[in-house]
Amino acid sequence: MNQRVRALFRLFAIQGTWNYERMLGVGMGYAAEPLLEDLKAVDPVRHGEAVVRSAEFFNCHPNLAGLALGATVRAEYEGVPGPQIVRLRTALCSPLGSMGDQLFWAGLVPALVGLTVIGVVLGAGWWAIAGFLLVYNGIRIWTGYWSLRTGMASGMRVGAAIGSSWLPKAMEWITPTAGFVLGATVPLVVAWYLDGFGWAAAVGAAGVAVAGFALTRWFGPGLTSVRFALLAMVLLLLFRRIGL
Amino acid sequence: MSEFSPLVVLPLLLWGTLVGLDLVSVPQAMISRPVVAGVVAGALAGDVEAGLRIGVLFELFALDVLPVGAVRYPDYGPATVSAVALGAGTPWELGLGVSAALGLVLAMLGGWSLQVVRRWNARAIQQQTAALAAGESRAIRWLQYGGVLRDALRGFTLTLAGLVLASTVTESVRLDRPTAVAFTLVAVGSGLAAAASSAFRGSGRGPRLKWLIAGLGVGIVLAVLT
Repeated sequence: MNQRVRALFRLFAIQGTWNYERMLGVGMGYAAEPLLEDLKAVDPVRHGEAVVRSAEFFNCHPNLAGLALGATVRAEYEGVPGPQIVRLRTALCSPLGSMGDQLFWAGLVPALVGLTVIGVVLGAGWWAIAGFLLVYNGIRIWTGYWSLRTGMASGMRVGAAIGSSWLPKAMEWITPTAGFVLGATVPLVVAWYLDGFGWAAAVGAAGVAVAGFALTRWFGPGLTSVRFALLAMVLLLLFRRIGL
Repeated sequence: MSEFSPLVVLPLLLWGTLVGLDLVSVPQAMISRPVVAGVVAGALAGDVEAGLRIGVLFELFALDVLPVGAVRYPDYGPATVSAVALGAGTPWELGLGVSAALGLVLAMLGGWSLQVVRRWNARAIQQQTAALAAGESRAIRWLQYGGVLRDALRGFTLTLAGLVLASTVTESVRLDRPTAVAFTLVAVGSGLAAAASSAFRGSGRGPRLKWLIAGLGVGIVLAVLT
C-alpha cells in the first residue's frame, strides 16, 4: 500500500494512545512511521532522530493533524535542523486545535447532527442516519487527505498554506449555519416528544427545561446538564414518595 | 427489553464496544453519536422506535459537549446502547425516563472511565520511555495497539455493566404510570435545556445569535405545519 495511504489510515487512529502527557504524540509517531520509511535507507541516524521527534508531545484537532504530520515529515526529508522542526510542531498545536475545534466540533458536527435529528423527527429514520454518516465521513476523509497532501507539499511554509486555504472561509460560515440548524431543531424536537401528552405535561416539561437552562448557566461547570437531569429525577422520586 | 437473551445481548455488547472505541480512539466516524448508536441498538434489540426516541434524547445532551483539548466529558455511546436495551419493548412514553436515568449515570461513568484509560496510557508510555528516546518504531506501534485495546476493553466493560444494570432494573423496578410519564417529561425537559444551552453558548451575543433566532423561527413554523 502507498505510504501516504497508510499514513492517512493511521491518522484515523491518531487518538488511540491519547494521554495527558504526550496527548496525540504517540499517535502522530504511529502515523508518521510509513512516511519516514524512505529516510531510513538514506540517513539512518536522521531517521532515528525523526522517529523520536514524531512521537513527542503534540496536540491539535485530529482531523487537521495531517497538516502538521505532512509538514514535519517533509522538513525531516529536507534536512531542516531538529530544533526548528520541534518549534514548528509546537507552533502548529494551538492554531490547528482552534481551527479544527471551531470547524468540526462547534460547526460541522452540530449542524449535521441537527439536520439528522430534524430528519428523524420528520420521519426520515434510517435515511437521515445514513445521510449523516456518509456526509460527515466524506468530508472528514477528504479533509484528512487534503491536510496530509497540503502539509507534505508545503513543509515549513505550512502556515502560509493554511492561511490561504479554504479553512478560514469555512470557519466564517459554519458556526452561523450550526446555530441556524440547532435553532430549527429545538422546536421540532419539542413537538415530536410532547405531541399527545397534553398541555399540562408540556408546561411541566417546559418548566424543567427553563429551570435546567437557567441553573446550568448560573452554576457553570459545577452543574452540568447531566447532573441537573439526575438531580431533577431524584427530586421527582422524593416528591412522588411524599405524595406530591 | 423484557428478555436479555444471548442472541440480543452479544450483538449489543459488540456494538457498545465499537461505539466506545469510536468516541476517541478509532475511527471517530461518529457511530458513537447517540442518534446513530441508539437506532442501531434499537434495531438489535427489536425496537427501532425506542432506539430513535432514546438516541435523539441523548443527542440533545451530547450537543452540550464541546470536546476541545483535554476537557472531560460524558461518554454517551455505550450509555445509549444500554439505555435502549432497557427501554426496548416498552411504550416510549413510559420507558424513556427510566432509560434516560440509567443512561445518564452510565454516561458519567463512561466519562470517568476515559480518564482511567488516559492515565493507563500515560503509564504505558512511561514504561517505554527508553525505547521512545531510542527512536524504536516498534515501541510506538505497540503503544498504539495497547491504547486501542485498552479503550476497546473500556467500551466492552461499560456496555456489559450497562446491560447488567438494565437487566436488574427491568426485573426489580416497577413505576406506576404517572411516575413513569413524569420521569419521561423530566428527561425530555432536561435534554431540551442541554440543547438550548449548547445553541446559545455556540451563538454568543453577536451576529450568530440572529442566525439562531432565525432557525428557531423556521423550526416553530415547521413544527406547527407538520
